[in-house]
Amino acid sequence: MNKSKSTKRSMRSIINNDITVGYLFAAPFIIGFLGFTIIPMLTSVYYSLTDYNLVIKEQWVGFSNYFRLFSDERFLKSVRVTLIYVFTSVPLKLAFALIVAYLLTRKSNMVSFYRTIYYLPSLIGGSIAVAIVWKELFATKGLINSIIVQLGGTKVSWFGDQKFAMIPLIIMSVWQFGSSMIIFAAGLKEIPATYYEAAKIDGAGKLQSFIKITLPCLSPIILYNLVMQTISAFMAFTQAFVITKGGPNDATNFYALYVYNQAFKYYDMGYASAMSWVMLMVMSVITFIIFKTSNFWVFEEAGS
Amino acid sequence: MKKVVALILSSAMILGLASCGAPKSSSDSTVNQADGSADVTTAVNTSGGSEEVVKIRVAWWGSQTRHDATVKVIEMYEEQNPNVDIEYEFYDFEGYLTKLNTLVASNTVWDVFQLGGNFPTYMNKIVTVDEYIADGTIDVSNASESFLKTTNWNGQQIALASGVNTWGITYDPAIFAAAEAAEPTENWTWEDYKKACLIIHEKLGIYGSSKMDDFVSGATMGVAQEGFGVNFFALSNDKLGFDDPGMLVDYFQMRKDLVDAGAYPDPGAIAEIKDIEGDYLVKGEAAMTFVGSNQMPTMAAAAGRELKLATIPRKKADGPSGATIQSSQMFCISKDSKAPDEAAKFINYFLNDEEANRILNGERGVPIMSNIREMLLVDADEVKRNMYEYVDLVGSFKIGDVNLIDAKGKTEIEDQYKLYMDQVIYEEKTPTEAAQAIYDFAANKFQ
Repeated sequence: MNKSKSTKRSMRSIINNDITVGYLFAAPFIIGFLGFTIIPMLTSVYYSLTDYNLVIKEQWVGFSNYFRLFSDERFLKSVRVTLIYVFTSVPLKLAFALIVAYLLTRKSNMVSFYRTIYYLPSLIGGSIAVAIVWKELFATKGLINSIIVQLGGTKVSWFGDQKFAMIPLIIMSVWQFGSSMIIFAAGLKEIPATYYEAAKIDGAGKLQSFIKITLPCLSPIILYNLVMQTISAFMAFTQAFVITKGGPNDATNFYALYVYNQAFKYYDMGYASAMSWVMLMVMSVITFIIFKTSNFWVFEEAGS
Repeated sequence: MKKVVALILSSAMILGLASCGAPKSSSDSTVNQADGSADVTTAVNTSGGSEEVVKIRVAWWGSQTRHDATVKVIEMYEEQNPNVDIEYEFYDFEGYLTKLNTLVASNTVWDVFQLGGNFPTYMNKIVTVDEYIADGTIDVSNASESFLKTTNWNGQQIALASGVNTWGITYDPAIFAAAEAAEPTENWTWEDYKKACLIIHEKLGIYGSSKMDDFVSGATMGVAQEGFGVNFFALSNDKLGFDDPGMLVDYFQMRKDLVDAGAYPDPGAIAEIKDIEGDYLVKGEAAMTFVGSNQMPTMAAAAGRELKLATIPRKKADGPSGATIQSSQMFCISKDSKAPDEAAKFINYFLNDEEANRILNGERGVPIMSNIREMLLVDADEVKRNMYEYVDLVGSFKIGDVNLIDAKGKTEIEDQYKLYMDQVIYEEKTPTEAAQAIYDFAANKFQ
């Protein structure tokens, strides 16, 4: 009788413990994180050291998958085109997002309506449907070409010329500037109006106060957007998969697409896993560099 | 008190998650109670009686015509066999393979699944049908010997072809007449093909030819045309079957010349072709295109005008055609199946039932059962009859041993070939360099 009472009490103390409750609430996430992220990641480390091909039992091959990467011409080209894509699409997208966000800071009833409109592409942008629309727009007989012809130009074979093929993909990514725009808009609101007033009194123009006040005050948010957009640009897949299939002549064979092809088209899971890990390392290095340089250009109000 | 409520709610959530993860165990236990066998998934009939329902899963790839016909046949089969419940899935080719590969990895391949020449990759997932033929579950009394052979490998009957086909070139005779180009003959050559393309482009301003399957016409068939018994992949499929990269040069050169002249779509225009209905031939913007013979009726219907079938051009008019009839695809029984007998019964119905085949109408290729073939020929329109005659014609060509089975790494070699084709067109490689490069790449895959 006494004993059961004491176990009951200790049970109750476990149940009532904050830590237990905390873990229970976090459990759905923890289970998902373990099951869908950590465990697959760890198994992919193992597979990257084997010749796993989905069907036959894998064999240990050591680091040969990693060495193979450096002699794979298609791989090296895919690194090159991915870097070009990242370094052109991300700055363009951020500049565009910032300009639109800045324009939408003026006080007007329509502002929230415009913001919604400009945000829409970000909601639907990653979808297959938009990629197909894009493909039609830039087709030989598509809308873009008929506009060019109307204006007196000559037709461009957008996806048939390796110099042009990436341009529609970059435009598509820039077009999805909405989420960065919303974050910029929130940041702009945080800048105290007194700064601008003081600058105005001192005789600063619009451009001057944008460069001297807006940009420095916004720099932490620019850093955040830069890092997030760089990472997502590295993982670009849908556009290339649907629109160009990586062609012509691998001019749009993005890293993620090549990983996918190696894994699910050529069944070279081991090689694809190795490639993913190299991608993770490249992305980490670039993010690290961005953070390091941020010391020079990110302005921290609290620190100064 | 709040905490207790929170605890109850969150544990309910976890239980919910856990039960989502394992619905199978509970249904398995009902099976055990019902009749003691855990081989088949059963469901208790709502109408009162506890009749056993066997569930089999069927999957295939193809066009809309194929999906509609196959679904109809499945429904007919379910009606005649109330104890069978068929779940079906269909995809386009690439989506199908992606899905199949994930199922292979998780050991849950569909009971009945469609495969083509790519079957060796999945060999350890296939239940061969020898036993079912021996015990009469699958009736092959009407099957032609030569058609059975198309799916026989290393002495095993892998499956039975849902249809046989061969490659060909569809062309529009009216365009040929308008351009005064010579129509293809039974043994026309690549030289004739090129001439026709150029003259049609010159006179009418359209493409001479729409998309060719470059790897088939330039590599596998191209090499087989060099001599009887010469193959791109050796018959043993563990090495290349030729040793002279020079055999690949002419096709690279010809394709480049045609693109340069504007008589063949550039890589971008090729990428714009979505499906048979969107082919430049169907739209009247090209005079020829590459097809599998079984696609010919779909293409003719989409074009809505007279189209004819010609053989793939040869290297020499008196040389080997390099063409042969092959299984266009087959329904295989999976090793993961819990009801392989029911799967075999369904396949038997699919191949032998006359009503079912009236609906399928040879869309997967020429049926292998002679009675079905004759039945379909009676009602066939001109296009279909041409297709049957064409397959017979190609079947009558003298051939050496032709390798119809995909070697390991074929997809990757094929993509690399197409990449080099682009590089030849963009003048980054000469045809000779491209030929040498693809030879080295392919040979390297077998080391």
